[in-house]
Amino acid sequence: MKQNVAILGMAATPVGKYQSDPSADIHTLEHELLAKLVIEAMQDGGLPKEEVDSLVLAQCRPYTQQKYFATFMANYLRMPCTASVMEVLGNGMTGGIALEQAIRDIESGRARAALALGANFESRTPSAEHMNSSMRATGDVDFHTPFGLTPIAWYAMDANRYIHEYGSSRRELASVAVKDRYHASLNPIAQYQKTITLDDVMAQREIVEPLGLYEVPPRGDGAVCILLCSEDMAKASGKPYVLVKGRGFYHEGVHQISEIPNDMIAFNSLQRASKSAYENAGISAQDLDFAEIYAPCTIVEVLASEAMGLAPRGKGARAAVDGETTLGGRIPISTSGGLLSRGHPAYVTPLYNMYEAVEQLRGDAGKRQVKEARLGATSCELGNYNAAMVQILEAVR
Amino acid sequence: MSIDVIEKNRPRAYPPRPTECTAIFWEALEKGKFQTTKCNDCDSFTFPPKPICPHCWSSSVSWKELSGKGTLYSRTTIYAAPATFENETPIHAGIIDLEEGIRIATQLIEDEAIPIDSPVEIVAIRYTDGPLYGARKAE
Repeated sequence: MKQNVAILGMAATPVGKYQSDPSADIHTLEHELLAKLVIEAMQDGGLPKEEVDSLVLAQCRPYTQQKYFATFMANYLRMPCTASVMEVLGNGMTGGIALEQAIRDIESGRARAALALGANFESRTPSAEHMNSSMRATGDVDFHTPFGLTPIAWYAMDANRYIHEYGSSRRELASVAVKDRYHASLNPIAQYQKTITLDDVMAQREIVEPLGLYEVPPRGDGAVCILLCSEDMAKASGKPYVLVKGRGFYHEGVHQISEIPNDMIAFNSLQRASKSAYENAGISAQDLDFAEIYAPCTIVEVLASEAMGLAPRGKGARAAVDGETTLGGRIPISTSGGLLSRGHPAYVTPLYNMYEAVEQLRGDAGKRQVKEARLGATSCELGNYNAAMVQILEAVR
Repeated sequence: MSIDVIEKNRPRAYPPRPTECTAIFWEALEKGKFQTTKCNDCDSFTFPPKPICPHCWSSSVSWKELSGKGTLYSRTTIYAAPATFENETPIHAGIIDLEEGIRIATQLIEDEAIPIDSPVEIVAIRYTDGPLYGARKAE
């Protein structure tokens, strides 16, 4: 019998710099940090560990020395499982795929409770070295990488196209970074919490034109554990929980760039994925109280907000300037501070976004609480939103 | 119908790996010929060149020369580059819609930013270890 799926518990470490120097006398290691979070998430949900039948981990970065991390963790925490013990990978969508697999295990009845979790440690590797790897992840290694294209170069080309097509400006786009930082200033687990002004954003050195340092993702480490279970089990716990009300996914069969010219900045996959998620949940975009969007750069949040129907085409940047996406605005976006300020340990970023959505829906978001938040959406992606995943979440209290 | 060839007195930072299929592309490019594969069954171009048609999955494809003429869809300049490219910054790059209806991404050869939606042309660039291609403002 198909089960409704709930999120009952969670734990996350503040996004920051944890990865040790290889020559350190004392190391901070992924599994120790994550094990504590697993115990914390289970306590948060009030379930004994025996209820967990499934462990779905975001694959670790190649810098993590411990390999086969999922089975290692099953041993580290002594967790026999009947459904899944696995690692998943899909660029920035990795944490979203972990959530999706955990949801499927519960939905199908194979698991009563499941953990979607992961640790992303990378901060010790300099950006130029890290990009030697990431440049091979976004595009064709033989027909794009030889030109020096980096992951965010594609987003920069989105930005220039958007500015050209809709008469927007870098200044308009940059307002997203100011808004994100304001949200992060209210989030104790955000990597960057000091508020910034539009002039601060504009004054940063250019990273990939037209985007400066504050408009592209910072690098950091993080770890998250999300506890999911059947709605029946969540109800029986007597605790507030969040219902997974709808999901959507779409991969447009394109890796980074469509060889058949299309409207690249329409984020077609996200349009499709959000539409199916809304239909699946029986809602429309207007019903959402907030959205926690996967957006590594300012422009990506703007384009994603348009693709999800939260702002009209070509008006997303203007909506950000006008405060519509700020806390207290028409549709608050990235109340965590988003990837730009909450932080972006990429393989677990969608788990952090889920963490924020659940805090909002449980009414636990403190100073950044969206008033009477009942329905929220999360998104994640890979490439240049060539694939998108959307989850619609509902508060049950 | 051939494209201009520019010489560069250094090796490529990150050379592509030729296969039996793509070696034909790179060898022609070296001589100023810009071509790709076209499906004999559904008439679709594909780029990069492939031994199969990704659209209808036919294995019957032929090489067709391209004019190298196109329009700049978008562009950027990369200041923070991977370590492999540290001697090549800033890197100019763009997305080009070729007149045959193919979209590609490549390096741009420009002194000042080429305006979006303006005409560009593909050139072959002969490095000391082999060719790449790029685009510049159309003459």
